[in-house]
Amino acid sequence: MLNLKNIQVSYGPAKALWDVSLHVNEGELVCVVGPNAAGKTTLINAIAGLNPLVGGSMVFNEKDMKGVAPHEFCNLGIALVPESRRLFVEMSVLENLELGSYIPRAKALRQQSLEMVLELFPILKQKINQVSGSLSGGQQQMVAIGRALMAKPSLLLLDEPSLGLAPAIVIDMFDAIKKVNSEGISVLLVEQNVSMALEIASRGYVLEEGRVVAEGAANDLLNSPEIQKAYLGIHD
Amino acid sequence: MPSLNLLIQSAVSGVLLGGLYGLIGLGLGLSWGFLGQINLSHFAFVFLSAYLSFEFVNKLGIDPLVCLIIFPPIFFFIGIFLHWLIRRFRITPFNSLLLTFGLTVIIESFIQWIWTADFVKLQTTYGDKKASIAGIYLPFTESMAFIIAVLVAVLVHLVMKYTDLGKAVRAISQDPKMATAFGIPQAKISLGIAGLCTALAALGGVCVAMIYTLNPSQMYSWIGVIFAVVMLGGLGNPFGPLIAGVVIGVSEAVTMVFVNPSWAPIVSFSLLIALLLFRPGKL
Amino acid sequence: MKQSNYALVIIAGILLAALPWLNIPAFWQSFLYIVFYWGVLAVSWNLFSGVSGYFSFGHGAFFGIGMYTVAYFCGHLELPFLPILILSGLLAGFFGLLIGALVFRVKNVRGELFALLTLAVTFVIATIVLNTPIDGGPGVYLNSVAIPKLGPNAAASFYLMMLLLLIVSLLSAIWIYASKLGLGLSAIHDDEDAAEVMGVPTYRSKLIGLFISTYLAGMAGGIQALFVSYVTANETFSITVPLFVVLMSVLGGTRHWAGPLLGAIVITGIQYFFTVGDSALFGKMILGFILIVVILFIPNGLLGNFARSRAKKSSLQIVQDILKKNDLPQEKKAVSKTDQVLLQTKDLSKSFSGIKALQNVSLEIYQGEILGLLGPNGSGKSTFINVISGHYAATGGQKLFEGNDITALSAHQIAAKGITRTYQTPRPFNELTVMDNTRLVASYAGNVSLDEASELAYAALKQVGLEDKADSLPSDLNLHQRKFLEFARALAAKPKLLMLDEVLSGLTPSEINSSVELIQKIRSQGTTILFVEHVMSAVMALADRIVVLNHGQMIAKGLPADVMRDPEVMAAYLGKKA
Repeated sequence: MLNLKNIQVSYGPAKALWDVSLHVNEGELVCVVGPNAAGKTTLINAIAGLNPLVGGSMVFNEKDMKGVAPHEFCNLGIALVPESRRLFVEMSVLENLELGSYIPRAKALRQQSLEMVLELFPILKQKINQVSGSLSGGQQQMVAIGRALMAKPSLLLLDEPSLGLAPAIVIDMFDAIKKVNSEGISVLLVEQNVSMALEIASRGYVLEEGRVVAEGAANDLLNSPEIQKAYLGIHD
Repeated sequence: MPSLNLLIQSAVSGVLLGGLYGLIGLGLGLSWGFLGQINLSHFAFVFLSAYLSFEFVNKLGIDPLVCLIIFPPIFFFIGIFLHWLIRRFRITPFNSLLLTFGLTVIIESFIQWIWTADFVKLQTTYGDKKASIAGIYLPFTESMAFIIAVLVAVLVHLVMKYTDLGKAVRAISQDPKMATAFGIPQAKISLGIAGLCTALAALGGVCVAMIYTLNPSQMYSWIGVIFAVVMLGGLGNPFGPLIAGVVIGVSEAVTMVFVNPSWAPIVSFSLLIALLLFRPGKL
Repeated sequence: MKQSNYALVIIAGILLAALPWLNIPAFWQSFLYIVFYWGVLAVSWNLFSGVSGYFSFGHGAFFGIGMYTVAYFCGHLELPFLPILILSGLLAGFFGLLIGALVFRVKNVRGELFALLTLAVTFVIATIVLNTPIDGGPGVYLNSVAIPKLGPNAAASFYLMMLLLLIVSLLSAIWIYASKLGLGLSAIHDDEDAAEVMGVPTYRSKLIGLFISTYLAGMAGGIQALFVSYVTANETFSITVPLFVVLMSVLGGTRHWAGPLLGAIVITGIQYFFTVGDSALFGKMILGFILIVVILFIPNGLLGNFARSRAKKSSLQIVQDILKKNDLPQEKKAVSKTDQVLLQTKDLSKSFSGIKALQNVSLEIYQGEILGLLGPNGSGKSTFINVISGHYAATGGQKLFEGNDITALSAHQIAAKGITRTYQTPRPFNELTVMDNTRLVASYAGNVSLDEASELAYAALKQVGLEDKADSLPSDLNLHQRKFLEFARALAAKPKLLMLDEVLSGLTPSEINSSVELIQKIRSQGTTILFVEHVMSAVMALADRIVVLNHGQMIAKGLPADVMRDPEVMAAYLGKKA
């Protein structure tokens, strides 16, 4: 459903992505791993419409995304859970979730989606009117995921959801992501935490310095030499 | 030692005047808080509306309350048009200050060209009406301005808090990129806010015309008070400017009881300076 | 270049000074007086506000102080004019210093807030003047004050006084634009925080600039007071002075010393067309319109582009002069890691509203070594560099450099001690040429004169291969070149410790190789290097030792091969399995 061919994206004066091609099939959970500064956030933001492409093409659900205005991406079915959450911190949990369903087609299903999200993350029920900036990191991450789900996406993008979270919470987070995927929403996950990501994904890509240096089934990637080299600089 | 009655009367006048400050400050604060623009031309539009009210009432015999209803929508569209025009150029926030400065001078000159630098006053029967409670006078015009200010603040607050649109506006000011990611059309909403601020200027202008004698260069003397009101009350906060306005209005009024009234501007300008020094940045 | 500008102004000044004796029509003499008057106000405004970017809307206040000094002491107290004229400048300058001392301490008052604040100050001073015996309301008459006899008649005396003041103002402006102070103020305009870190004493520089500006404005007010001979608060403190000086400078171009003068000539000329009745208003409207048009279409002003090409030519000239000299500094002999500790941190900590970015980091950096600082995203590496450089203040612990405690020093003081850094995303001063960017840092951080700094800068640029681009602007360079400019700037200051923050990100493999070679060369010439990096191949090639941070704490340090196989490090990077 999502097909990126040879895309190039700039970050300020620098080229962050040089020649990235990847695809996500309907219902899949795909991850993109790689060290810092590999371009992972730039990639996710480009798919969400926040960074324009300076080369290559992006096709989503058979629609060429070239020239589509940034605020229309959500309506087409792409929802973003950005790096470090980026909640509307001065607003309550409920307001954040409501804003997730700002677009008309999501607004119509707002009550229903809200119940679904609260079932997925029960602890939010008590925090529903609390200012979201006062929640713990893990809870904020839940709100961020919930907000994206409220938009009723067909493709959910997650940018380093484990960042800054305690290991135990990371496990819960990834369980939730798996659950969301099992209900039919395609997921593209970008992560620094390789083991966790490859554990829940079916396929993966390794991004290094703006290029894809390896791709394949999750299991194969985990112990591959490319990952060792990319992350640790170790050559065998 | 001034009498208690005089003090209370001053305080009450200060409160009522504070309402007007709050009304005018709201428009400025909204565009500063949500559009990131310091719009000096806000004052020019207030005075333009004031002079137009004078014209309509004195020359065409229209009731000032009618002006209250027909001016805001017209100014709403003027505001949208201007914002749209300026936005095409992508200028820095500081340059927008300079630009609105230029716009202010143009409007001021235009006003002076048509209505001359002579003092003018809107004549209406409302001007004479006043209520009296326990010996304290509540002039009709000032009270009306105060009530309008309160109503507007309440309305804006309700919209901001309870409607999707209001929440979208707040989201845009906190994190415009994320708001866009969730489908909020930032560009369109910004236009709407710009229009709203100009409409509020129009509303304030009609009130100013009903209360004060007008003179073109007077608009600059409001700058200190209103900026102090906005900075004290907080940007983008519906009730902030109102409360701040009342505080400042009362302090000014009470000060004037004790010293020569021409010292009054010092209160607000000094407060503004103090605020800028001790609480700069977004409040 | 500087000398020819001075000569130009002085010669033109002498020629103009001769005019009163040549029997030119009175109209021209009074027109020129007004041009000189606005010239002084605009040039004096611009030499601080235009250069530093601190646009003051309060020039009217200082002009007014000057006006009222003369009005009060000469008009009310009947003291002689010329000494009081000097006083008027001094008083205005004094108030400028007072306000600057208060305001520049506050970090966030820049741009719009500074403009508002200075506007507010004007109104406060106006109110005070109006309500105290200084004026009291009716204004002050100066008809009984004796006008100094400098020329064939009274009008000529004013003409000559204002002309002299204009010449002084222009010479001051030329001096500022070419001096170390001016370069520092320009850097403040582009990026004040970076300027501070690169060694510019921002507080002091701004105060000096403001003083010169307000002093000149005060003197202009003093002369004008006697000229109009009837001074009122409303006229003096009206919006006219602030509006016109901004308009003239923006129209003429704030980046050129002559910009405001050009603007003054143009605007005064236009004004003269509309002096009568209704047209005066129309004229004012046109001026507002011009301001808008200039902001929208020529934001750099009429001389804006000219200023740029002038800066470029000047940089080129500097390079040529240096090449003529032919005695470039010798290459030092190779150096490697020693046992001397250069920088030491003890339990260094930094928290941001509850988030512990750095926790008790204790490490040593040895003289001559290349130390790699690694860690996953958010581990505190950039924070570490920011704390060492003084950009952030530590919330706990100590930093010692060459045995001395530098924990409490400000950023520009740390730069002067010999610690410089580059930025992850290059932060060059965008309106300065490559040469100016580099010699600015060399001069301030290295504590040498501009001329000496030029030589150091050239050597640094040659080292990084940018010597041909000395006259280019940062916007003309590609990313690789911009990163190398960061290197050059850091090198030109001849630092003892150089901190590199992710300099290799975004570069192609061959660019990475040449950068690695450059870093090795820099070390071999005696600079100790701390670098934060993610490109592992480079880290392995360069680092003598590695320190790894995770969640703000140091989790490993030692030789690269050992550290990268440390299980805790591997877990930090790859994540633990469930």
